[in-house]
Order: sequence, then structure tokens, then C-alpha cells
Amino acid sequence: MKYSIIMILAFSLFGITLNSNAQNSNKDNFEVKVDGLGCPFCAYGLEKKFKELKGIKDVKIEMETGIMNFTFPTDKGLSIEKVESQVEEAGYTPVSVVITRGNGKTETSEREVLEEVAEEAIVESAFFVAGNCGMCKARIEKAAKDVSGVLDANWNKETKDLIVSFDGSKVSQEEIENAVAKSGHDTNIATADDDIYDKLPGCCQYR
Amino acid sequence: MRNLILILLTICLISCNQEINWTKTKSIDLGKVTPIGLTYANGNIWLADGDHNQIVEMNLEGVVQKVYEGFERPMHIDSQEDAVYIPEYGTDNISILKDGQKSVMEIQDSLDAPAGVAIYKNERAIADFYNHRILYFNGTKWMSFGEEGKARGEFYYPTDVQITKDKIYVADAYNNRAQVFDKNGTAELVIGNTDKLNAATGIYVSSKQMFLTDFENNRVLVYDLKGKLTQTIEGDFEKPTDILMIDKQIYISCYKSKELVVYSNQN
Repeated sequence: MKYSIIMILAFSLFGITLNSNAQNSNKDNFEVKVDGLGCPFCAYGLEKKFKELKGIKDVKIEMETGIMNFTFPTDKGLSIEKVESQVEEAGYTPVSVVITRGNGKTETSEREVLEEVAEEAIVESAFFVAGNCGMCKARIEKAAKDVSGVLDANWNKETKDLIVSFDGSKVSQEEIENAVAKSGHDTNIATADDDIYDKLPGCCQYR
Repeated sequence: MRNLILILLTICLISCNQEINWTKTKSIDLGKVTPIGLTYANGNIWLADGDHNQIVEMNLEGVVQKVYEGFERPMHIDSQEDAVYIPEYGTDNISILKDGQKSVMEIQDSLDAPAGVAIYKNERAIADFYNHRILYFNGTKWMSFGEEGKARGEFYYPTDVQITKDKIYVADAYNNRAQVFDKNGTAELVIGNTDKLNAATGIYVSSKQMFLTDFENNRVLVYDLKGKLTQTIEGDFEKPTDILMIDKQIYISCYKSKELVVYSNQN
């Protein structure tokens, strides 16, 4: 699992590095709020793996606030989407990303604006999702909430039930379960691919 | 008469089989300290404060004596005489803190996130988290045992280790169990694998019992040295990480509730 995470992170970030010039005097500052840092053994380890990546400097994670800071060369133009993707690959669940570029400009991840939903279209249901810990909870809930039409999602670590409310005219429970499985967590009708499952942090592996 | 004999026999059997029973006596508030590991040296308790990259020395009442900064994610520590051994998860080193001075233990191998260290006489053991193995120095030479896996003798992210006179005990964290090895690295016993642990992160072995923290379930499981579960300690503490015994009291460090919970036995 460790090496999968390292390889993915390394290849992605090396790809950005190869396309850049040698100038690296200016640095962009990244502040990423992450969710689910309940397990220090995995969180510290992921911080360590971030530190080993070429180009990333000054990685620091405040466990109490869930805020991760690091710097990266400005000329690499690391985007919010890329950061979110890498953070997810490393097992964290990103809540927000703020980039302060070397020239002082700030970029912030956009918040999703929920549309109004007719009351009669709202469906509430609960289904089983496999997982272990707080990091699992953050990942499962984000995977569900990222599905268009999902209004709320709450996973219970003890019962393993994910309670969701969603716009039944836009999305089905099956689609939500498939989306959750794609994050690495099995449901009763959808199984996570092994390669995705193997990238989960040790504390999240439930099989 | 026959019934009376049966009753007396039952009482006798119950009393003869009476287990050591731990009951809570107090809780020590650690303020902002997030403890991962515990040890006892110089008459004080030492805590590895993982989140804040520091080692905290406090007396038995919980009064902080001194704080030592500059450790990168210190984990399950151990001590010998007045030296404290500190696995630094972030630097892959085992540091030694003695008389306020920091040095680094020489190891003829490379670690990847050391999560626990154990010292016994001239023996050393290290739980090498990302390499899924134990490094063991028998006083003469280093050896390594275990590899990634779920079978007996294999590990899935070991986080803590303890050496006794003739055994090596390992908290096999994400296999949710403990394993006991002889000093050649041969697995002799698997403990806790049927007890529904969720992250067995800390281990402590006394002369009669073995304690295992069940991190996600907020429990400490107590076993006899044959692996039989004798008590489940549950309370209002959250995310227990390590256990230490001092003068017939056990101290449980709790990462999330930021406290040391103290239990004593009545037997």
C-alpha cells in the first residue's frame, strides 16, 4: 500500500516537474484542510511520505485543526484540482484548498452551491458501507456528497450504516453506492476495486 | 449436606480462579499533550507527544517537570536507567535522550517510520511500521523478522514491541492482534485475533499479564500470558495508545481524550 501511494504521488508530481523550467526561487504556499485525521499512525506516516516527494517542502500537519501546509515551486503551477487529487490519493479527505501564489494572488477551492429541491423529491435511506475509522468516515461521506443530487450523508462507525438524503429525481441509491465503492469502501451491492482498496491507509483497510 | 459441599466447592473454585481485576482510580488531564507512548525513568513518567513533536516528563501526579522539543513524531518510547529511547517516525531514527542531551542509536539497517522501541538489558527491538517487520538486536547482532501479511509471523503495520526474559511481544496493529515470538523470531502465539480489536496499537507485558490497547474501540484488553482474555477495560477514555505499570498501577495514555487514566488492582 505504501509503495502504491508513493509511486502515484511521485509520478504525478514528477510529471509536473519535468515540464517546468529550472527556476524555483519562488514558492507557492498551500493550505489544505483535511478531514478524518483520527489515527496518528497513518496521519504521521502520510505526512512523512509527502515530505519525501520531490519539490514539496515544509510539509506540516496540525492534527488538531486538520490543516496541512506545504510549499511548492511557483513555476510548476500546481493546481487546486491536482492538490485535491494528490491528497485523496494519499488517503486524506480534502475539505478546502487555499493557494497563495508566489506573486501574492490567492486561489480557493469553490464550495458547491446546493440547488433547491422539492420536498416530495427528497429520499432518505440507509445502507451498509464497510470501513473502520474516522478517516474512513470522512472519505465515505465525501464520496457520497460529491454525487450530484445528494443533500447529506452521515456514516456511523459503529453500525457501518451510511444515512443519505438525496434528490430522488436526480440520483438513485445504487448510483450513490457505486460512487462510495469507487472511494475504496464496499457496500452490499458494490465492491471496491482491489487497486483502489490497496491504496487505503492501513487503519482504513477492513478486508 | 451434599448441597452444602457443592456450594463450598463452588466458592472455593471461584476464589481459586480469581483474576487480577483492574479498577479505575483517577485520571490525569494532560492539557494539550497528545500521548502516543509512555515510559518510566528517573522516578517520572515520560510521554511521547506525537502531535507536538516533543517529549514530556512529568511526575506521578501529572505535574510537568520538563518538556524536550525537537523530535519528529515521537512514538512508543522505552527507557533504561536514566536514558529514554525515542523512535522518531518522521526521521527514521531512534534517538536517545539522556541528561537533556540527544544522540542517535546506531542501527545497521534502514528504518521506515519506526513506531516502537524496546530495551531489555543489552537487547533492542524496533517496530518498523512501513517495513512490516521487527528489528531485533540480541546483544551481539541485529536480525529482522516478519514481513507484510496476515498469516502467523507476518505483520500489518506493527506499532509497538516489548522484550521480556525469553520472548518478544509485538502489537501487530492493523492485523488487530498481538504476536509473541521467541528470540530467534519464531512466532509462538497469536493473541486477540478473535476479540474484534480495531487497531491494536500499544502493548505492555508484566510478569503475569499482557495489556493491549484497542485504539478505535476505546478499550484495553487484558490477557494472561497464555493469551486468555481476562478483562476488558472500558471507560470514558478515547483512543488509548499505550500502557505502563508502576507500583501495581497501570497508566493508560489516551490520544484523543488527552489524559492518563490510572487503574489499580484489588487482588
